[in-house]
Amino acid sequence: MLAPLTVSLLVASGVLGLIAGHHLVRRRRVDDPLILVGAAIELGLVVQLVYGLTQAGAIGDGSERATFIAYLFTVLVILPVTIYIAIKEKTQWAMSVVLGGALVVAILIARVQQIWSLNA
Amino acid sequence: MPDPSPASHTGRGPGRLIVALYGLLALAATGRSVLQIVEYFDRAPVSYLLSALAALIYIVATIGLARGDRLSVRIASVAIVIELIGVLVVGVISYAAPDAFPDKTVWSHFGQGYGYVPLVLPVLGLLWIRRNRAPRTASIG
Repeated sequence: MLAPLTVSLLVASGVLGLIAGHHLVRRRRVDDPLILVGAAIELGLVVQLVYGLTQAGAIGDGSERATFIAYLFTVLVILPVTIYIAIKEKTQWAMSVVLGGALVVAILIARVQQIWSLNA
Repeated sequence: MPDPSPASHTGRGPGRLIVALYGLLALAATGRSVLQIVEYFDRAPVSYLLSALAALIYIVATIGLARGDRLSVRIASVAIVIELIGVLVVGVISYAAPDAFPDKTVWSHFGQGYGYVPLVLPVLGLLWIRRNRAPRTASIG
C-alpha cells in the first residue's frame, strides 16, 4: 500500500484521538476541529479504498483478498457512525465513543497494511 | 420523554459506548461469518456456524440496548447471557481441545483476536443493564 498515506492516516487518527481525549477531559462537545479532522481522515480513507481496489489483484490468496477489500470498506463507516452518536449524546460519554472510533480506525488501517505486506 | 434521567436508558450516556462496541462486534462477526461461509464452508462448518450465531447475538444485543425499552432490554439481556456463556465455553474448548475448532471464531481463546473485548463486553453489558434497572424498580416501589 501507499506508505505515506498509511502513515498520514495513522497520524491523523492519533490527532483525532487526542482531540477527543482533550474534549473528554474538558467536557466539550463535538466541534469543528473534530469534524474537520474526521473529514480529512475520511478523504484519505476514500483514496486508500480506490487505490486498494486497483491493487487488490496482487493479493494471491482469495480469502485474504476478500478480507482486505472488506476492511477497506468497513473502515469508512466507523467515523461517520461514531460522530453521529457523539452529536446525539450530550454528556462527556460522546467523546469516549469518538476516542474508541479513532482507535478502531487506526487498528483497521494497520490491519489493511498487515494483510497487504503479508500477502502481496 | 418518559425518561428524565439519561442513566435510565440503556442507549444513552455510557450506554452509547457499550452500544457502539456491540455494533462493532456485530459488524466484525457478521463480516467474518459471511466470508467463512461463502469462501470455505466445508472446511470447518461448526466454527463457521458458531461465527454466524455470534454475529446474530451481537446484532440482537446492539439493537436491544440501543432501543432501550423494557422488552428490548430483556431480549438484549438474554442475548448477552448466551454471549457470555458462548465466549466462556468456546474459550475453554479452544484451549482444551484445539482440534474442535480448526478455524477461529470471534470467541476462540476468549476473544483474544479482538483484544478480549468479546470477554469483557458481556460483563459490562450485564452490569450496565442491572444499573439501569435498579432506579426504575425503585421508583415504582
